Amino acid sequence: MRKLPALVVPSAAVLAALLAASAAPAADLKVGAPAPDFTLPSASDGKAVALKDLLAKSKAVAVVFVATKCPVSNAYNTRMAALGKEYAAKGIPLVGINSNKTEPAAEVKAHAEKHGFTFAVLKDEGNRIADAYGATKTPEVFVIDPKGNLIYHGRIDENQDDPQNVKSPDLRNALEAILSGRPVPTAETKAFGCTIKRV
Amino acid sequence: MRLLLRTLLSAAALVALARPASSEPVKLVKPEQYRARVVAAKKGRALLVNFWATWCDPCREEMPALVAAARGFSSKDLAVALVSTDTLKKTPEVQKFLASLRIPFVCWQAKSPDPQRFIDAVDTTWSGAVPYTLVYDRKGNLVARLAGPQTERSFGEAVRKALAPGS
Repeated sequence: MRKLPALVVPSAAVLAALLAASAAPAADLKVGAPAPDFTLPSASDGKAVALKDLLAKSKAVAVVFVATKCPVSNAYNTRMAALGKEYAAKGIPLVGINSNKTEPAAEVKAHAEKHGFTFAVLKDEGNRIADAYGATKTPEVFVIDPKGNLIYHGRIDENQDDPQNVKSPDLRNALEAILSGRPVPTAETKAFGCTIKRV
Repeated sequence: MRLLLRTLLSAAALVALARPASSEPVKLVKPEQYRARVVAAKKGRALLVNFWATWCDPCREEMPALVAAARGFSSKDLAVALVSTDTLKKTPEVQKFLASLRIPFVCWQAKSPDPQRFIDAVDTTWSGAVPYTLVYDRKGNLVARLAGPQTERSFGEAVRKALAPGS
């Protein structure tokens, strides 16, 4: 086993900080609870995007934690692009957040352009917003109503392999319920995908 | 002659122990079969079940630690099973990865049109994030949940807990 030079052995404090950074997020945001506000820069042009500004002019906002390299998140790129376009026109914008430390803003921008995302993808440096939401995976969705409360949390749908054969379009069901003034039928599902790379 | 034969057999057994066997073919398991096929079948030994996926970097990275931890226990005391949460079209990749590392554990692959059904059948408290490891005692009782990547030491500690008298 290789020995680390004494100078680079981390102190207890540094170790504690590293462990905290790699630990699971403390937040456990429940459906019905107020969703944390955020203002983050868009990966494409650096302009700040604030959740409260979007909520002020929308019927709801769908926040999706995404990745550039995760095969599961990437399996949903076409679906996210289509949902983003369709529901923005209906008054529910989709907003992507990339919290992966391993994926810089330039890469996030190129990925969004390549896959035709018309929605903003925001860069969450230091994964502060992922921590505040308790987001752990990509893709993972949080839908927020105009009052700022969480009304859907979970997956886009159950079938990552075959968009033509989806049996449980959970995000779409939630958005349609919001548009028609009904309660979201299934407000909590289990998102599946890659872990958000916090370290 | 008998002594020589016995010595050769012992040496062969030691070599077999030191070198993991080639990976067995991956077997499919439905949500409703998990308890009976994966857990109950191993009663009498502690059982460590590691949930992973080929696309999950931390899962692949922790696999050597799991192999090393398992080597610290007799196969009379501990069984290890892997459960891949890859979709079924990825079965060849699952097999290829296991073969490349000569992973010596039986590997199941979740067969469920809806992943949430499988997640809930395994453990309702599980978010579905991988890697995820469950450790059962000799009676099949769940004694440890390990969320996220583990080390040889943390795997070993969980197994020792499952093997502890009274567990």
